[in-house]
Amino acid sequence: MKANLIMTRDLVVCHPDQTVAEVMNILRDRSFRVVPVVDEGRRILGAINMLGLLTKLVPEYIVNGDLKSVAYAPDIGLLLRHYRNIIDLKVSDVMDRDPTIVHENDSLLSVAAALITYDRFEYAFVVNRENELLGIISASDILRRLSKVDPEGLVDA
Amino acid sequence: MHDAVNHVIFGLDPTWVAVSLLLGVYGIIMAEKFNRAVLSLLGAGLMILCGVITQQQAVAGIDFNTIGLLTGMMVIVAISQKTGMFQYVAIKSAKAAKGEPWGILVMLSVVTAVFSAFLDNVTTVLLIAPVTLLITDALNIKPYPFLFAQILASNIGGTATLIGDPPNIMIGSAAGLSFYDFLVNLAPITPLIMLATIVGIWFMFGKGLHATEDAKALVMQFNENDAIEDVLLMKKSLFVLFAVISGFTVAHSFHLEPASIAMFGAALLLLLQTWGMDLRAKDHAYEGIMAEVEWTTIFFFVGLFVIVTGVEHTGVIEMLANRTLELTGGDFNATAGAILWVSAIASALIDNIPFVATMIPLIESMAPTFGGADALVPLWWALALGACLGGNGSLIGASANLIVAGFAQRAGHPIMFLQFMKHAFGLMLMSITIAHIYLYLRYLN
Repeated sequence: MKANLIMTRDLVVCHPDQTVAEVMNILRDRSFRVVPVVDEGRRILGAINMLGLLTKLVPEYIVNGDLKSVAYAPDIGLLLRHYRNIIDLKVSDVMDRDPTIVHENDSLLSVAAALITYDRFEYAFVVNRENELLGIISASDILRRLSKVDPEGLVDA
Repeated sequence: MHDAVNHVIFGLDPTWVAVSLLLGVYGIIMAEKFNRAVLSLLGAGLMILCGVITQQQAVAGIDFNTIGLLTGMMVIVAISQKTGMFQYVAIKSAKAAKGEPWGILVMLSVVTAVFSAFLDNVTTVLLIAPVTLLITDALNIKPYPFLFAQILASNIGGTATLIGDPPNIMIGSAAGLSFYDFLVNLAPITPLIMLATIVGIWFMFGKGLHATEDAKALVMQFNENDAIEDVLLMKKSLFVLFAVISGFTVAHSFHLEPASIAMFGAALLLLLQTWGMDLRAKDHAYEGIMAEVEWTTIFFFVGLFVIVTGVEHTGVIEMLANRTLELTGGDFNATAGAILWVSAIASALIDNIPFVATMIPLIESMAPTFGGADALVPLWWALALGACLGGNGSLIGASANLIVAGFAQRAGHPIMFLQFMKHAFGLMLMSITIAHIYLYLRYLN
């Protein structure tokens, strides 16, 4: 079984020059967790995802673990202040530039390994040899596929 | 010393080889393109491979009291910082200032100075600087004056005790000066230097620090009790910390070296920390703590000791000492003053650890001129004061300075090299002037 057979092909994409606010609307209105960022040739540049955006709202000294817990701090208006700062930025300023990417001909075992190794989000983008975005494949896509396989089957397909 | 029977590679002059290695390593360290531990170990290896000293001589030159003390304290701190007690004190002190920015700046600086006296300076700022950023974010004011004050406070506080700053550890170990000696001779002057520095900072930034009433109220809403993450471990850590510091204070009477006490305390806390866990969890905890020891610093020291031993072996340091004595006319007061000021300026510009490592044998070889090792004691205080306080002269003067600068950068408020120097260099010179007056009144004249 190859990645391109179980990936979701119907994708909403965004471009690096759009504003964060526009992408936030897409994420919210369509309850997506991630929107890939592509250039005119549909080559993948990065991704905007919910957790990534939230990371931009939390100060760096908390994100990088210098303060392991801030349970003692009240809401000091930081999140809102940073939210207002990033909302007008361009997608290219805040996107994750290193999303998990797999190849269309990769095996499911290889995709599963990639998801676990990068250990950040539960999905990978599927690209062809030219780095053009073909689809997205998530942990649940793989698990759902396995549950459909005949119990006697000897390969993951 | 220089009649050593070693065979130097290609028949080169050992002095030439050793000095080139020392200057080469120090120079490349300053360029900050390579890890300093790797460079010092390479230099140490070359010192042996080129035949300047043998491996035996090299190992004999490593001051294991310094290494053991540093490692032991790093283990104790690695465990106790997990408890959140340092953050607790920082928040408590900020609230004691009623949320007033200037008051918070003073309180956090004093807390930094006191912690730095008993913990490594780098560890102290690693613990206090992020809390400071959170508090200045709550106050919605620029963190620079706060971080600036903390850098100075960490180096001033570190001057006060044997364990406050690595140069003091090295000096104490080499000269046989105890924790108690440092406490009696250096600790009394540091509060005055701290006070003078805070007054200086007030004139620079005091009037510009304003926060709204709402922002102050936010700081008062911080709940320090929630900072404590592990009450039991905190009690164990405090017990060991107090035991170790008490041990340092009385160690000399029992003919114990500080390294033995620190390492014993570290082993004891490792045992207490994991008491009651199953073996797997214990192993996991030990390995985690061992990984947090700053091996880079430890190996840097090991390499450095070997490099300096090599140079010492060639007789160059003795020659330099004699040259220094010629310049000061063999006058004790002038020599002490020269050591203080040269150490301060040098430590502002280069890493004070290699500088002190080189200065120690240099001062030791002055013993015959001044009537024996005991007579040198004021010179050791001059070296300690110069090397520790000198770190405040520039952003690259001490590791703690660079750590804070790193935080500031990541928080979006970078500290500029020249900006820092403009504010700090004068304050550093003032602190050295105070130190000089103190030395003069107490030991010289």
